[in-house]
This record gives sequence, C-alpha cells and structure tokens, in this order.
Amino acid sequence: MKLTITFDRLRWEEKALSDAAESAGLDSTLLDVKGLVFEVPKKPQEFGDVVLQRCISHYRSSLLTQALEGAGLKVINSSAVAETCSNKLASSIALARAGVPTPRTLLALTSEAAEEAAERLGYPLVLKPFTGSWGRMVTVVRDRATLQSLIEFKEELANPAEQHMYYLQEFVKRPPRDIRAIVAGDSIVACVHRIAPAGEWRTNVARGAVSKAFKPDRELKEIILKAAEAVGGGILGVDAMEPESGYLVHEVNNTVEFKGAQSAVDTDIPAQLVRYVAQSARR
Amino acid sequence: MNTSCKECGAELTIPNDAIVGEIVSCKDCSSEYEVAEISSGNVLLKPAEQVGEDWGE
Repeated sequence: MKLTITFDRLRWEEKALSDAAESAGLDSTLLDVKGLVFEVPKKPQEFGDVVLQRCISHYRSSLLTQALEGAGLKVINSSAVAETCSNKLASSIALARAGVPTPRTLLALTSEAAEEAAERLGYPLVLKPFTGSWGRMVTVVRDRATLQSLIEFKEELANPAEQHMYYLQEFVKRPPRDIRAIVAGDSIVACVHRIAPAGEWRTNVARGAVSKAFKPDRELKEIILKAAEAVGGGILGVDAMEPESGYLVHEVNNTVEFKGAQSAVDTDIPAQLVRYVAQSARR
Repeated sequence: MNTSCKECGAELTIPNDAIVGEIVSCKDCSSEYEVAEISSGNVLLKPAEQVGEDWGE
C-alpha cells in the first residue's frame, strides 16, 4: 500500500501523521495539493492508492476527495462522510436519525422564519453557521433584540446560501467544558475534556481551551461510537456535552485536530490513526 | 536558516527541520509565510493563505 497524506496548510497534526506513517514502515508521502491539476477522472501520478485527506479548507477538501474517489482511490474520510460532517444541518439530521442524543435544532430559511424559530426555542439560544469550525461565528443570542440585530448584519453579507438562512440550536446548560473524543473506526483512540478559558463560553482549542484527559463511562462510549457511525465512520472528532439531563453530541469533525488532546493523553494518537488507515486499506 | 519578513523587515528564523509547506510567522508583526522551497540551506518563502471561511476541522 502506498499512502498519500494530503494537506493545504501544514499543521503539527499532518507532520505527526507523516512521522507516524514512517515509523510504522509505511510507504507514505506528505503532499501539498495547492499546485495540483487534475485531468478527470484520471489518477494523478503524485498519488498512491490510499489517501488520508487532511486539507483545512472544506471546499478544497471536498472537491479533491471527489476527484480522488472518481479516480478509484480510497480516501479517508470518504466524500460522503466529509459532506455530512462539514454541514451542521446534515450532521444534526444524521445524529438525530441514528438516535444519538443531540441538541434541539431548528432550520429557518428566511429572517422572518428565524424569529419564529427563536420564539419556539426560547432564549438564550445558539446561532451557528452551516459550515465553518473553531467556534467561529457561533453566537449565544440572549434576547430578541440581539437576534434582530444579528439578522440585520447577516442579511448584509454576501453569501446567500450561508448567511441568509439560519441554523438555531437550544442553548445547553453545561459545565464550562465539553468532551472531545478522537475516533478511528470502531474504537475511541483518545478522549479529553476541553476546558474553556476565562471569559469565553466556547470550548474550542483554537479559542484557547485547555485539554485534560478524561475517561468516558460506558454510556458515553456507546454514544460516541454511535455518533461516529451515524455520519459514516472513519477518523473523526466527536464533540459532546454533559448537561444534567444526560450526554448530548453537538458535532462530529471530519478533519480532526488532535494537538490539544495529544498534550493531555499518553496514547500515541497519530500512531493509532495511521494504524487504522493501514487496516482500512487492506480491507 | 534565517531570512527577513517582507512586511516589517524583522529577522525570521526558519527551523532547521522545516519542510516545504510549513508555516512560519513573524514574531514582530505576525505575518505568516509558507515555506515554498528549500535548497542548499536557502529557504524561499511565499505569503501563506489567509484563513478562509470554510477552514476548520
């Protein structure tokens, strides 16, 4: 098997995965995709037969995965998984349909409907973009006046698909932390608490959250693995919350970052992920 | 390997184990560069891509 690890911005994670592949004795290449040209549906000569997709841009990653799958290559994660994870609406649907506990979510297709949806949910609520990551533009809306102002701002933005429709979610009362589980296939490689920094309600490591090792109980393990399966499986970052009413999964990440988690656990995360890739390739 | 920041002129230190594609940022002005080429101890930088709305996990 010849493995290609694709990237468009080389982070610690991609270097660690490349080192892990080398240590495992795999024939692997770390490939910057920004200069590539594809003649569809041919396989570009730069690629091996299995690809670990690690592009940071969702649209680039999505198109690249389509092109590679079209050329007959196995890509981890598949384009179907990537599409489900990168669209919060699709993720919410997949989780809910699989019976994974997830926050109550409403979709509104116009600003008027967004106000109606907010009345149904009650305040405070959380307004999220359909795509995007690191907690960017995820907003707690505490009252109707604030929602109306946010709607006015969003309506002025250029991208109608993203900005003029609304994904609203219940505000979950939880400790100032959430749970990040790194999953490979049907096993949980690592699990940590992400503790929000002072003055920040979001628990993204990109926003300064600190990771701390955490041992999930049996119920949570089952929920995490069910969530990973619900979006189609692969190498995933499952994010969950722990309100008093029970665990809720709010997101599953397709190109999981694990630098924060690795700082908190002894498990060699990249080694485990590479092992999963090698096993998947043999299937 | 050293070079200078195109934005503010400060000295940029490139780690010896840097590889093509790696991001280096200027300690003085925070400008980000991508390592475009390394040959015989010389490093060529290009401006790194700006964070996009669709970037993330």
